[in-house]
Amino acid sequence: MRLDERMVVAKVDRLTLRELRLWVRQGWVRPARGDVGPVFDEIDLARIRLLCDLRKDMSLSLETLPTVLSLIDRLHEARRDLRWLTEALEEQSEDVRRSVVSTMRRRRDPNGDI
Amino acid sequence: MSDDPYQALGVSSSASQDEIKKAYRKLAKSLHPDLHPDDPSKEAEFQAISAAYDLLGDAEKRRRFDAGEIDASGQEKPEYQYYRHYAEQDAGRRYDPGMGSGGFDDASDLFSELFGRRARGSGGAEFGQEFHARGPDLNYHLEVDFLDAANGAKRSVTMPDGKGIEISIPPGVRDGQTLRLRGKGGAGFGEGPAGDALIAISVRSHPLFQRDGTDIELDLPITIDEAVLGAKVDVPTIAGTVAMTVPKGVSSGRRMRLKGKGIKPPKGDPGDQYVRIKIVLPDTVGVDLEKLAEEWREKSDFNPRKGLGGVT
Repeated sequence: MRLDERMVVAKVDRLTLRELRLWVRQGWVRPARGDVGPVFDEIDLARIRLLCDLRKDMSLSLETLPTVLSLIDRLHEARRDLRWLTEALEEQSEDVRRSVVSTMRRRRDPNGDI
Repeated sequence: MSDDPYQALGVSSSASQDEIKKAYRKLAKSLHPDLHPDDPSKEAEFQAISAAYDLLGDAEKRRRFDAGEIDASGQEKPEYQYYRHYAEQDAGRRYDPGMGSGGFDDASDLFSELFGRRARGSGGAEFGQEFHARGPDLNYHLEVDFLDAANGAKRSVTMPDGKGIEISIPPGVRDGQTLRLRGKGGAGFGEGPAGDALIAISVRSHPLFQRDGTDIELDLPITIDEAVLGAKVDVPTIAGTVAMTVPKGVSSGRRMRLKGKGIKPPKGDPGDQYVRIKIVLPDTVGVDLEKLAEEWREKSDFNPRKGLGGVT
């Protein structure tokens, strides 16, 4: 998907061109740069919808938004790291995987039955 | 059912309502189950084209399908995927905080080895007191012509700071491919290196050529006399015109290979160009040609449809 500014505004009812440009200027949305202006793809569009939810439905102020956004971004980064770690573990031998899983369970739930 | 109702009806997505109706009627006539009581596959096909026509025959439904509001079976599509769906994929890296991952000072070496964002290219990470981190990657989008993508080209892109950089597009770059220019992204923090520029390429289509990997395909129109007698004709390739021999007695649809005339990628073997023969009659068939055909018909007992069974 490759959308220019106007197509994005047309697709997202709640969004004005002014807001979109502000969000891009602030770095909250980071479209690719094209020959004739910014080019948005799926992830940008989903993020714009998230920003609309945060700004409009949840009435976050322009001051608090960057904090919330950076927490969200850190969370996603961490989840991606965990996914990659899990994928790396899946490539290990059965013994290694079992030992990691049992250690992990012990730590998370010291009183539980394993 | 086919996901593409246009394909099911054999019409292009720009076809008029009238063309769609005609295409449907034609197919419906040949596929109607009552005309093929012994062939259940025809019934399935008939249902598929009926469903396609239910959708496309109705201008309003068609508009909603084209706009992506409903799917091929007429069901409402979920309006969109939530952000988290993309953020956890690799694409989500675009929105990583980018300031390195602070707060790991007391973590184990293994932890920082696993999750520390290493300063790339500086020979190992330094997790000291000072703050160093790699600069952010910057994303660009570049549209290139079919031939530039096939043959390779140089293009310049203006960076946010107004500086232009020259990009070498390698021969055979694919639509959707991303080129990475090391160190051409945002400046690093502290002594961290600059990020990369990521350039997403989209390739425009070409009126004559089509592409399949490193191979190029082209339809070559020839006259009836060239088909009968053979000929030497000029054929466009991505690297200019070449002469090709059309063999005597060639039929429409025959594919001929021009070895090595496809895309020459930086690594690997060059592709080939495939030329599909298409016999084309003049807009108005003259008396001479008609006479020739009549004479030939009288003497010939050639039946190209012999292999089609009882259809003829």
